[in-house]
Formats: sequence, structure tokens, C-alpha cells
Amino acid sequence: MKVRRGLPVLVLLLCSVVLFVSGCGEEFSLDKVHHDINFFNVPHHPWHIGPGEFWQVNSATLIYTWLAMALTLLIALAVVRGASVERPTKLQSMFEMMMEFLRGLIDDTMAKKKGDDIFLTVVTFFFFILICNLVGIIPTCMAPTADHQTTFGFALVTFALMYIMGIKYKGAGGHFKHFLQPFPYFLPITLIEEAAKPVTLAFRLFGNMKGKEIMILALLGLITGWSYICGGFLASVVWYCFCVFVSFIQAFVFTMLTISYVAMTVMEEH
Amino acid sequence: MVTEIEPTKFNATLLAQIFHFLALLVILRLVAYKPLLRILEQRQNTVVSKLAQAEEARAEAEKIKAELEAEMRRTREEAQRIIDRATKASEEQAQAIMETAKEEASRMKEGALAEIERERDKVLAELKDQVANMAVLVAGKVIREGLTADMQARLIKDAVSEVKSLPC
Repeated sequence: MKVRRGLPVLVLLLCSVVLFVSGCGEEFSLDKVHHDINFFNVPHHPWHIGPGEFWQVNSATLIYTWLAMALTLLIALAVVRGASVERPTKLQSMFEMMMEFLRGLIDDTMAKKKGDDIFLTVVTFFFFILICNLVGIIPTCMAPTADHQTTFGFALVTFALMYIMGIKYKGAGGHFKHFLQPFPYFLPITLIEEAAKPVTLAFRLFGNMKGKEIMILALLGLITGWSYICGGFLASVVWYCFCVFVSFIQAFVFTMLTISYVAMTVMEEH
Repeated sequence: MVTEIEPTKFNATLLAQIFHFLALLVILRLVAYKPLLRILEQRQNTVVSKLAQAEEARAEAEKIKAELEAEMRRTREEAQRIIDRATKASEEQAQAIMETAKEEASRMKEGALAEIERERDKVLAELKDQVANMAVLVAGKVIREGLTADMQARLIKDAVSEVKSLPC
């Protein structure tokens, strides 16, 4: 009974602490944190590579993409370096596990020959998006996937993959026929459905990663005074753990959806 | 001001990212996937061949086991046969020895009986001689004191009959 009576008191105490702490984050501003955290002076202004508004690139996104690519390549080289048939290294085993897992997903949804065509692209998607997502939780870095340019780029690759595979296995006529099914006057709906695929794919990844970044910055912004213990620090630790989880999940979801979209386009008619 | 990038519009970054992805795909394909896939394939082949080898070895082992079992059974039967034969032979031998012993014993017994008979006859003959001598001595004594021929004959006859009825 004593414990039961103590519980509301504890809750009240916590609430008051939270109220007190939230006062400490008053001067908090995402932009300020974002600016302060820019340890390596990564430029935030766009680079112009040509005339007009279109021909400019988001410098930070590109720089972190290069970082992610370098990491991806380094890890791949490390995997291959000690690779052997008889005595696989730990990295190699992990990578093979990933490849076999993705291979299993592909083989579950489509024939083996079709799976061979998209297998390497799918592995690259998973591996690269995972590294991109994880770059975001390196302090001071930003995930390249937290920019909608990147995620739309990836989604367009998936979109192109769908059309290439569809036309390869069903012919151009066979592939575009599915817009008119089950009835020709469903064409607007099927077109919207088709357009929704890459858009949702891109925005899902983008939203998750952008949210992750914003939360990291917001929790960092809370780290002043008392909130260091009660707000920012503990919450940051928890949030970073969750970030790792989300990074894996989103990379997996993107890959999985790529596989299933392609599988849908190459599926045999019944 | 922190950022000057228009956040909603698409720009060349999109193209750059597509290009990056495709470049990475090509590079990884050359650098990482080819060797890894080759290794995976090799491992699969190795596993298959190892399994086949294992199956072969198992069949071989089974064959050897069957052979050994047959051999063992044969050996056991052989041993049993040898033991049986030896038992029978020994029994026969024992029988023969016993018969020989019996024969020997009976022969010895007969020999002993014959000997006894002979000894008795000899003793009887000796006794007869001695009785006769004694009778002659007695007779001489009697004659010295005047004995008739009739009396002498009677005396001898009596002595002899007495000797005959001796228990021996």
C-alpha cells in the first residue's frame, strides 16, 4: 500500500521536473543548434553548377553522400579483403547473411531468373541506404537520406527498375496493358496508383530520416543546465538507440517495397 | 541565416544522387559483389560435393560394417564347431579311458583270484605232504610200540580224511 501511495507523488515530482526543465529550453532554436553543431564547416549554401535555379546542388547532401559512398566502399573492400571459401571472416559472414536474407526475400516473390536481374541493385539499395541513414547519427553529420532530393533519386531508380523489368519480361505492350485493367476507365486511378509508388517510397524514407535529424537537434538544443540530465542527455541516448533501429527498418522497408513493386510488375497473369 | 537552399524544389541534386547510386552500383559490382558471389557459389559447390562425399563414405562404412559382421558371425560359428568337436572328442576319450581302466581292473582281479587259487592249492599240497609225514612219524611211533597193518592203514585213512575236511 505504501508503494501505491508513493506513486502519484512520484508522478507529480516528475511532472514538475519536466515543467521546470522545459523552461530551461526556452532559448532553443533548431537553426542555432544546426549552426553550432557544424563542426567541420560543411557549407550550407548551394553550389551552382549551371545557369538557373535547377542547376544547383545541395552541398551538404552531396558531401555526406560522398562520405556514405566512401564508407560503403571501405566496408565492401574490408569484406572482400579477407574473404575466403573455407574460413569466412566475421565481416564476410555478416555481409553474406545480409545478401542471403535479401536473396530469400526476392526468391519468395519472383522467379529465380528475374530475381537474378534485380538482386545486386537490391543489395546496393539496402547497403547504401543503411549506411546513409547511419551517417545521420554520427554527431555533426547529416543523413543524405534526410534530403528529399536523395530519396526521390532512389525512388526514381526503383521506378525505372520497375519499368525496365516490366518491359523486359512482358514486352512494352504487356507492361502498359496493366494500366487499363481491370477496366479501361480505371486509367486515372491506376495512373495515380503508379505515381504514388515512388512518391510514397521517397517520402517515407525522407520523413523518417528528417524527423530523426530534427529530433536529434532538438534534444541537443535542450542540453543546457538542468535539462542536461533530465531532458536532453537521457532522451538523446534513448533517441540515438531508436535512430539505429529506425535506420535499419527504413533501409529494409525501402528494399522490401522495391522488391515487391518489381515483383508486381513482372508477376505472371493468372 | 543558416540555409539558402530552397527546401521544396527539386534541383540537380536529384540527378547527382541518381548518378551516385548508379556509380556505386557499378563499382560495388566490380569490387565486392563479383568475388563475394563467386565465393558463395564455390561454397555451395563445396557443400554439395562434401555432402556427396559424406554420403559415399557412409555407404562405404556400411558395407564394411556388414562385411565385418558376416565375418564375425562366420568366426563365431567356426569357434562353436571347434568347441563342439573338442567336447565330443574329449568325451569319447574319457569313455575309452574308463573302459580301459575297467578292463584292467577286472583283469587284475581275475589274476589275483587265480593267484589265490594257486596259493591255496600249493598250501593244501604242502599241508598234505606234512600231514602225511606226520602220519608216517606217528605211524612209526605206533609201530615201535607194535602196530598192525590194519591199524596203520586205518590211521592213514583217518588222517587223510581229516586233512580233507580242513577249512582252507
